[in-house]
This record gives sequence, C-alpha cells and structure tokens, in this order.
Amino acid sequence: MQKEFDVIIIGGGATGAGVARDCALRGISALLLERFDIATGATGRNHGLLHSGARYAVNDHESAEECIRENMILRRIASHCVDETGGLFISLPEDGLEFQSKFIKACLSAGIKAEAIDPKEALRMEPSVNPALIGAVTVPDGSVDPFRLTAANVLDAKLHGAEVLTYQEVTELVMEQGRVVGVKALDRKSGEMREYRGRITVNAGGIWGHNIAKKAGVTVNMLPAKGALLIFGHRVNNVVINRCRKPADADILVPGDTISLIGTTSSKVPFDEVDDMYVTADEVDLLLREGMKLAPSLEHTRILRAYAGVRPLVASDDDPSGRSVSRGIVVLDHATRDGVEGFITITGGKLMTYRLMGEWTTDLICKKLGVDAKCTTAERPLPGSRKEERERTSKKMHAVPTMQRESSLYRHGDMAERVESSTAAKRSLVCECEEVSVGEVEYAINALEVNNLVDLRRRTRVGMGTCQGELCACRAAGLMAEMGRYCTSRAKQDLAAFINERWKGMSPVAWGDTLRESEFTKWLYGGVCGLTSKTKEE
Amino acid sequence: MRYDTIIIGGGLSGLVCGLRLAKAGKRCAIISSGQSALHFSSGSFDLLAATADGEHISSPSEAIASLVERTPSHPYAKIGAEHFVATAEAAKQTLLDAGVRVEGDAAQNHYRLTPMGTLKATWLTMDGYVRATSDEGLAWKSVVLMNAEGFLDFYTQFIVDELRKKGTTCRVSNFSLAALDNIRNNPTEMRSANIARIFDKEENIAALAEIIARGAGDAEAVLLPAFLGIDRADVLDELKRRTSREIAIIATLPPSVPGIRAQIALRRAFERAGGVYMLGDTVVGYDEREGAIERIYTVNHGNIGFEAAEFVLATGSFFSRGLVADRQAVVEPLFGVDVDAAADRADWYTRDLFEQQPFESFGVASDEQFHALRGGRAVENLYVCGAGLSGFNPLTEGCGAGVSMLSAVRVSDNILKK
Repeated sequence: MQKEFDVIIIGGGATGAGVARDCALRGISALLLERFDIATGATGRNHGLLHSGARYAVNDHESAEECIRENMILRRIASHCVDETGGLFISLPEDGLEFQSKFIKACLSAGIKAEAIDPKEALRMEPSVNPALIGAVTVPDGSVDPFRLTAANVLDAKLHGAEVLTYQEVTELVMEQGRVVGVKALDRKSGEMREYRGRITVNAGGIWGHNIAKKAGVTVNMLPAKGALLIFGHRVNNVVINRCRKPADADILVPGDTISLIGTTSSKVPFDEVDDMYVTADEVDLLLREGMKLAPSLEHTRILRAYAGVRPLVASDDDPSGRSVSRGIVVLDHATRDGVEGFITITGGKLMTYRLMGEWTTDLICKKLGVDAKCTTAERPLPGSRKEERERTSKKMHAVPTMQRESSLYRHGDMAERVESSTAAKRSLVCECEEVSVGEVEYAINALEVNNLVDLRRRTRVGMGTCQGELCACRAAGLMAEMGRYCTSRAKQDLAAFINERWKGMSPVAWGDTLRESEFTKWLYGGVCGLTSKTKEE
Repeated sequence: MRYDTIIIGGGLSGLVCGLRLAKAGKRCAIISSGQSALHFSSGSFDLLAATADGEHISSPSEAIASLVERTPSHPYAKIGAEHFVATAEAAKQTLLDAGVRVEGDAAQNHYRLTPMGTLKATWLTMDGYVRATSDEGLAWKSVVLMNAEGFLDFYTQFIVDELRKKGTTCRVSNFSLAALDNIRNNPTEMRSANIARIFDKEENIAALAEIIARGAGDAEAVLLPAFLGIDRADVLDELKRRTSREIAIIATLPPSVPGIRAQIALRRAFERAGGVYMLGDTVVGYDEREGAIERIYTVNHGNIGFEAAEFVLATGSFFSRGLVADRQAVVEPLFGVDVDAAADRADWYTRDLFEQQPFESFGVASDEQFHALRGGRAVENLYVCGAGLSGFNPLTEGCGAGVSMLSAVRVSDNILKK
C-alpha cells in the first residue's frame, strides 16, 4: 500500500515551498510536487523586490500592511536572501508633487516608515537617480533573491520531514466520491506515471493553478498578466528607485546581486502562451525609455537579458492592464466553496507575502485535519540565515581565496562550508564572472538536486555574469557528465538547451556588446564545437 | 606618414591581404586593435561546407557554380565561380608561405574533430591536428587521449563516446606535472595558452614526452588537447621525435593556441616582407577628398595622420567591432559606409540561436570589386574584405575563413592591378 501524505502541495514556487515548510514545522506530513525546477514560474521571474508596501499604500491598504509586516519578518528569517538597500520614491517634474503628500499619509497609516527628503539628499544617497527629480521619499524597500528564498524553504521543509520532488507534473487529480484523494503525476525524467495519495491537496500552481483547479471540476478564474523586465550588466543603483505616482509600467529599478533590474510591463496574455514568454523588441524599448527616467545612465548601460513572468492575478473583471485587480491573498476552501472536499487553492498575493500565504493555508489545513499547532515560520530563521553559523563558516573557509569565499557564502550562507575547497582542483573556477568553483558546482550537483545546467545556474549563478555562459556552460556540462548526472549525449543536448535558454533572454536586447557576445557564443558552440539545434540524444 | 596601402584590421583577412601586397613590393601598414577571431580558431579553415539551406557540400569546387547562381550577392559570387579554385589556392599558398602549415583541397572537404568529439567538414587543417577523410570515423582503431589534470576547457568523455560510436576505442589518461602546479593553484590560470607557454620550455617538453611514452601503451595514436606550441611551432614534432609515437591534436575551448600561433606567423611574415604592423592602435577619424579617403587618424598617433593611395577595411563583424549595432541600426563605425541589414530590430534574430541568424549575414555593402559603397556609390580607394562583408552566413555555410581569405586575396589582386 502506498504511503498516504497528510498534504500534497502542487507547485514549487515560493508559495508552495512556504506551505511545505509551514506544514513540516507543524508536524504535518507533506509532499511537494513541482513540474520543473523550484522557482521556475512567477517566483523566479519578477523584480526580486523586497516591497515595503509603499507601492500599494494609496490604492490597496491591506496589501500594503501585509507587505511591510512580511518585509520585517523576512529581514529576520531570511537574512541571507535579503539585501537591505532601502528605497526611494522620486517625483519627476512630469509627475508633480501632488501625489507625494497623499502617498506619505497612506504609507504611514499602513505602518510604512516614509519620509520626504530633500532631492539633493536623495542624489547623495543614490547618485544614479535622475538629477531632475523634484521630490523624494525614503521607504524601507530592499531586494530579495527569490530563488534562494524558495530553496531555503524547501531545504527547511525537507529537514523537518517533508518530501520535495521536482520534475513531477500533476496530470490528474484523483477523485473519490467527490473528494480529492491524491494526484497522478508524470515523472518528466523517466517518463513514468506515478500516483500519490494525500488527505488534502493544495493547489499552489500560480497561473497554472487555473488549469489544476479545472481538474477537480472547479473554476478559479485567473487573469494571466505578463510582466517583462530587463537585467543590466552591473549594479547601477544601490537603493531601490520607484516613481512616486500611480503605479505604471517600468517604474521600479531594483539592485540585486551584481546587477540591476528594471520592470515591469503589464499586458494580458492568453493561457496557451504562459509556458513560453518572449519579450518583444517593443517591450524592451518601453522598459528602457521609462527606466532612463529613473536613472539616466541606463541609456548607456549594457543590458544582459530580458525576461518575463506571468502574474497569477485572480480576476474579478476583465481588466486588460491587470493592475486594478487586488493583489490580496486568496485562500479557497473548495469544500465550502464548491462542495469538493480535500482540495484547497492558494493564489493571489505576491512573493512578499509567500510566508503569510503559507501560514493561512496551513491554518486551514490544520483546521481540516484537526491538528492543533501554531505557526512558527515568522520566528524561525531559514537555513543559511543563521548569523553566528555564517561567521563560524567564514572562519573555517579561511584558505579559500577571498572573492571565492565571499561569493560562496553569499550564495549559500552558512551552508557554504559544505563546498569542498581543500585542493587546487576543487578551487579552480568553472565560472569566472561569478566566481563559481568546481567544488561549489559539485556541491550543488550532489546536494541541491540539479538535473540540468539551468538548475545548476539557479543554484550557483553559473552563466549569469556578463558573458552569459560562454565557457562555463561547457565546463559545467563536462562536470555534470563526469559525476554521472547524465551521459555525454544528454550533456551536449543540455548544453545546447542551456545556450538557447540564455539566447531567449539575450535576443530581444541583442545589440551592442550583447550582440557581440552572442556572435562569439555562436562561433564557439556552433562553429568550433559544431553544436546544432539538432544535437539530440542518439 | 604615407603608405601605398593601409589595412585596418589585423586578423586573418587583413593579414592575408597585407602579406600579399607587401610581397608584391607595396609599402603597406596594418592597424590592429588587438584580438581577432583567430584567437578562437578550431585549427581548421572552412571554405564551403553547406548551402544556405544547410545541405551538405563535399566538394566546394563543384558546388561553387550553383552557389554563385543562387546567391549573386555572396562574396564568392563577386570572386566568380571561374576564379574560385585559383583564389582558394592562392589563399592557401599565402598561409604556407607564412609558415602556417596546412593541408586540404578545394576539390574535396575533409573532416576535423571538434572538442565535442564530432567530425565536421572543413577545407584546410593545421599540421598535427586530427583529420579524417570521411565523417565515418578516424583511421585509428585505438587511441589514448591524454589531458592535464584540472584543465576544464577540454572534456575528454565527449570525445571518447563519439569516437566509440565511430569505431575507435579511446582510453583516457590524465596526467599531472609539477611544472603545471603553479598555474593550477590559481583558479583562473589553467587555460590552454598558459599551459602552452609552459610546454614551450625545453625541460617540460622532455617531461611530457616521458609521460606520453609511459601512458601510450599499445594505442595506435596519442591525442592531446591543443595546449602545445604557442611561441614555437616545433613542440609537436619534438614530442613525436622523442616518443616515436603518432600524436595528434584536438581543438579546445578558447583561447585557441593554433589560432594565436597562426596569427603570430602571419604577422611575422608580413613584417619580414617589409610591412608595418601597428598593434593596439585604433582608427578614430579620416579626411577625404573628392570622394576618396585621403588619410586616417588613430588613437596612438593623435593628429599625425596616415596617408595612403588605397585603404582596406578588414575590421570584422560585430565581435571585432567592424560592425556596431545600437538599438536602432547597424552601422560601420569608421567611415559610415553602407551596411546591408534589416531595418527593424525584431528582424535581426530568430528564437533558436543554432539556426541561421539574420544578423550573421549583415555587413558592409560592396560592389563587384569589393569597393565599399557609400550612399550606394563605390568609394574608389576603399576596399572591404573579411567577416565584415555582407551576404553570407559563415556558420551555416561553413565558409567564414574562406570568405575572409579569398576576399583578401581578391582585394589585394584588385589593388595590384590598378
């Protein structure tokens, strides 16, 4: 007889990972199923903005309050994922100052510390800001690494007994007497079908949750809204820059790691396109045009790539901009809503509120299962964020070259000591741009569930620097094959796929140095190495 | 200062053009900003390996007539089908004259072994590199593949598996050598060119020869990654002599040791023939008179201009900055001559990088004699050769090096004819 879980969670984004961790900490047996890698949907395709909530303060008081509370919690529990940069809301001459006073009032009433400062002071704080600004307000914005945050939740869930399986695509909900009792899933690695039984199934599929709900015969009407962003080649700004006006396109510039991000656009897209979002040349132009108003130097800054995510907004009406829809959290108990037992949908919300979404969902699960356990996720730091551990780890790694040690600590927090660095061979670099060593790649392959080069990139930043994976991709593919992750035919196929995944983001911005780099990549892999799009498993 | 011809760009095309002009007695200068595409060469030179539709070509000399007919804007069409073989032969001879030892024939492509272990059709391959006469496999039944421990830019298993499919057993033997420890300890230094500098030293050649002799066993041939012989050309010969073994080389990820050596050889030959090679200088401005280029100015020489009767633009494509794209357009940055390129940026690229990319065919517009065009009219003393030309796809058609060299030969001939 198959093991029965208390809860099956569909979707390995921040929300699903948050639910899994919360369940695990409350002693509820949980299985998380993700059809690709963790954080590949909307979680990995946004600004990575640690919202202060200020953006929502004027129009959506409730979201603003949720944001600032979660903002403060994440600084504590996920310090290795958070960069406490602070944020500015600037007013440009075309915006006027009328909005500013309303904005500050709304922020303060939501509990967001907002303070008007002299434009000159703003320029001192953030030299890249548009010097034409006529007003500035400081807010507690920051940046957060969505992948690292999700990975840390997954890791902690597993440490507390949850099972997390990636590359498992749920194809069917198993129904018995009008009740969801489990799921059937396609194992995308082996091609086999598997069945899992659970007393409750949670739909945390983001925009894909729309179709998952359908499998239970219930309707959750979502509105797919595409948001495109650009990544710049270096960290243009150190403070998050927003426009102090009604939220619009491309009005947030966020520093993250070694880069900066501008976004987003918002456009309605049909459901059949949500799996494959391309950014158009027009969207790039719009992002750049608006971005330059925040920081004029963007005009001459190299763009590394463009990408887009799909917001899982729950539609109340057919608003094409997707902006007047509430970003509030939606927890649906399909038993009371639709008469389908054992099935919950968690949607709406945003990356910032993933933990709260997990808490509310787990509260409902506890109620349904009759479990009496309190949520502790707001207090318990995530793995990687234990500050004393990090210092101890840093000391233990004193023999590793400084840049490499810092990069490794930055990416893995106190888990970095598990990166083998005792020999020159292990310390040699796979990726020079991001200082990723052989040891770190091996750690990721062995301990962090890496199935392909794109998975590896998410865990180590291999291929994310200015060269976008020119040489490191081939080196990493070699290491993956050497460690028995796959055969060399698959390795080559994976290499071609990885390069094309990078190209997907580079092609819409392929001019200047990005086009130079692309031409070189093509010469190298298409010419010298002889890879083609037909490089297939033989 | 005044020259007969000034060539802007010191890569394969500029050097071939310059070397031929200098040998013919012209006072010639090459201005080079530095790195060229030779720095990531495979050790082979392609002439024509496929049609624009990707159809395989085994004999370039037989296929040329149909190519010329189908794509009249192709640089080879400007050379003309009837001159194609002789021009190719002249290009090959230029390499040989410079001491770049290559083998191959325009009548019949052969195959090189890629770092991925596959066989790829090509025209000329540098001496010592693995070659095959067909894509069915190598001549050897058993080989040993030796790599230096910690060298990540060459992954042996790719090659082992592909060779096995084609009937060659390949054993891997990794070696370490005290002389390599220094660069191995620095995480970024274990690269082909640095290793080659170590193996250029007499004592290390001796040590490597011993390693090869010990590790070769009964294999018919020893295969090594291309990390041998950067400043000297005889390292492989030395190893063969000392071990009495068949040894052959396989290309690595960049930097390309054979490419760098070819670049050095061509440059030295050019200088021996009396040419002036100005390395690390960049052209920034020019004067013109009556529609002709009169003189150019460079970064290093400020307001001292260089005059010449003829100028050759051999500045390459995007990577070498012979073409520059911004958000709106593709331009030729030095003289602002006409560029053949799609107007709308959305038409520059397609979604699969490995398919033909429209931007790869963009380039400087030229007339039948390879004069650059400006406003649709030929600039009488400005020629274009090399990767910066429009109308061909170097990768899909497997003709990049061929176009670079053959257009250079033709431009030098046109200049000499004047």
